[in-house]
Amino acid sequence: MAALSLSRLVKHFAGGVIGVDDVTLTVGDGAFTALVGPSGCGKTTILRCVAGLEEPTSGEVRIGGRDVTWLPPRDRDVAMVFQNYALYPHLTVAENIGFPLKVRKTAPVEAARRVRQAAELLEIGALLDRKPAQLSGGQRQRAALARALVREPALFLFDEPLSNLDAQVRAQTRAELVALHRRLGATMLYVTHDQVEAMTMAQSVAVMAGGRVLQEGPPMALYREPASLAVARFIGSPSINTVAGRTTGTRFEGALACDARVGACTAAVLAVRPEHLVLGPAIDASRASVVLVEPLGPESLVRLRLRSGEDLVARVPGEASCRMGDEVGVRVAPGAGLCFRAGDGARLA
Amino acid sequence: MTAAHRRVAVLLVAVWAAASVGVAWRALRGLDRSARSHEALALARTLRGTTPVPAWPAGLTSGDSMAVRTEETPLVVRGRSGELITAPVKDADDWDIVGAVGVAARWRERAAAVALPLAAAFALGAMLLVAVPTVAGSGAAALAAGAAAILGSAALTTGVRLRAAAEALAPAGGDAASLDRLALREPSLALATLALVLLAACAAVAIGAVRWHADTAGRPVRVRETLGAWGFIAPSLVHLAVFTIAPVAFLLWISVHDWDLLASDRPFVGLAHFRELGADPLFWRALRNGLVYALYVPVTMVAALAAALLLDQPLRGIKVLRVVVFLPYVASTVAVALVWQWLLHRDFGLLNAALAAMHLPRVDWLGNPATALPALMLVSAWGQLGYMMVVYLAGLQAIPASLLEAARLDGADAWQRFRLVLWPMLRPVSTYLLLTGIIWSFHGFTLVYVMTEGGPAHATDVLVYRIYQTAWEFRRFDVAAAMSVVLCLLLLALTALQWRTVKGEPADA
Repeated sequence: MAALSLSRLVKHFAGGVIGVDDVTLTVGDGAFTALVGPSGCGKTTILRCVAGLEEPTSGEVRIGGRDVTWLPPRDRDVAMVFQNYALYPHLTVAENIGFPLKVRKTAPVEAARRVRQAAELLEIGALLDRKPAQLSGGQRQRAALARALVREPALFLFDEPLSNLDAQVRAQTRAELVALHRRLGATMLYVTHDQVEAMTMAQSVAVMAGGRVLQEGPPMALYREPASLAVARFIGSPSINTVAGRTTGTRFEGALACDARVGACTAAVLAVRPEHLVLGPAIDASRASVVLVEPLGPESLVRLRLRSGEDLVARVPGEASCRMGDEVGVRVAPGAGLCFRAGDGARLA
Repeated sequence: MTAAHRRVAVLLVAVWAAASVGVAWRALRGLDRSARSHEALALARTLRGTTPVPAWPAGLTSGDSMAVRTEETPLVVRGRSGELITAPVKDADDWDIVGAVGVAARWRERAAAVALPLAAAFALGAMLLVAVPTVAGSGAAALAAGAAAILGSAALTTGVRLRAAAEALAPAGGDAASLDRLALREPSLALATLALVLLAACAAVAIGAVRWHADTAGRPVRVRETLGAWGFIAPSLVHLAVFTIAPVAFLLWISVHDWDLLASDRPFVGLAHFRELGADPLFWRALRNGLVYALYVPVTMVAALAAALLLDQPLRGIKVLRVVVFLPYVASTVAVALVWQWLLHRDFGLLNAALAAMHLPRVDWLGNPATALPALMLVSAWGQLGYMMVVYLAGLQAIPASLLEAARLDGADAWQRFRLVLWPMLRPVSTYLLLTGIIWSFHGFTLVYVMTEGGPAHATDVLVYRIYQTAWEFRRFDVAAAMSVVLCLLLLALTALQWRTVKGEPADA
């Protein structure tokens, strides 16, 4: 196992397209880091630079302290799981898993033992004689995983490995991947556009946009203390509520109002998580009408429209006490409002 | 079974019964008109040059109204005891009518000839009635069997009677053997078989239609859709029947007959033409040449794959290069052949000029039996390279990039990536190119026709050219047809092989 560090990584594509713009990132030895962001944000390009499938324009990639920036993929000791699994269709599952061993001329007996071991670990021991076309999506995923871990690489790379699975299998595989990571203690870099995957699986999440890392940290830190409006908006489902207004130094004034000690008087955006909106009588509170109530069982989502026109979502425990068309008062829970500067979206408080 | 189906079934049985009666009636009245006219006419022709028939042979009766007619069609004369079929007999100069040949048909004989098969047909019908669940289906089947039997037996009895007449006439001066062959030649049997096949087909269609109707009862949409689908298929089906199936059937027919453009008599000879081919060293030579010539296919494939791998790079201007490599395939084969004829010319050719510049001896590429076939293979390879390259290129581009990236990450070097991933994944493409290439190589005609005409000393004589020459230069259409059948079987075997390999491929994951 080995740590991965990227320093000042830049990748420009032909035609002046900037894929990665000066990214510095470290994945500790045995850590699980997720790169998350909208499509085209450069997360996959970073992954491919680490794998050696792309050459960076400048910057450095180090794996286990060794500079691998200009090494071919085969000399980097990394394994990658692709979105479409990239299983060789003409080979059986066993041959697929054993492929990395075969090309490295591992002794057949040893190779067979390790293939079996990897297959057992991923519970596909019974499928070894099948061709990929005869497997379900989840089984292919496991075969691809087995192929990645059969040669015990220093670093695992995942390129949206769950996005081709249906929702149920995806949730199950998510948990299994976390268990696998704990079991192998391997270093993993995981690329996804799905913030739920990033939040639930990774120890550390790097949110990317426009080729840059906006913020990196443990999932809950990102959720609670986003450094910018973009991160706040990207993390969390349903998305954070935003309302434009002004800060007075101690308070935010707008369609919603709350205490905000930011020490500056400026145009600002208030962002409030759905669970931090408190619904109550319309006394001394912003008024909103209930547009829709979505009961989810343990909680309900209440979609609201403020008098000033902004749409909000509130998350309330259990069953909501209001109904569609009701007039309710909306307050921000004390200390839960996040203020960002209007314009660049930088955090105020 | 619904009332509607019962009505359909009853209707079909009624039609069957009516048809049976009609067929029986026609048989009694001389249904076998076609067989009769053909045979009697042929008999009359064969007898040209005989001395006048001295007397009617035994078994023939002359009626009051019998007259010799000048037109060459047989005449049916009705007498007191039955029908008499007559045909005029002319002299050797085809000038004078010198006699007539006739066959008597007697009620009793005819009735016997018809009654037996009719009884058999009814028995068969009764059996089918029990065996097949739909009444209408069995009715149609019985109708088919019965009618076929009647047709066949009636036709056969005519053949037998004509043979008797021929035998009786023979001593009068005709060629007994040829008469015998004529009388025994079995267009009557062929007719019976044809009738049987046709009627069986009709019966199958009828049964199918009734069953289908029973299946789709009350589902008009399904009926409309099915009819619509058949309607859409019909034009290409007709096209296929007229331009593919019919010519193939005709070819098969020619190959087993003595078939001359000028002669009107084209007797059945069985496999005689095939035996002739087997004994013909030039045929075997052409076959061997074809096999050697086909070797250019795998060689070109290797070159095409190499070119495809080179041209699969994302370089500027690579598309122009691809077009250039593809160009020879688009060019007219005749033009290509002429240009290459010049390139390979002994005295003025570019190739020999180059050899001469290097102080090497000149080679008469197309005039030397040892080099002519390899030279043609070279030209074919040059012409096919672009096509094969494009197919390989398409195959390469259909392989997901992630597979090769996975292989790179798995540690495979360039050769391993080719050997373990690209080559196996291109296997369906390679099989396709190899088999279609070989099939096309056996069709290669233009190059041989323009450049060497099969020479020198049959060195480039391939099967298709041999077929062409046999048919149009030697006027042996029947032998050429037999050769075509052999070629066709060869290519069919290859195609079957191709289908099997394509079917054996796993679906892409």
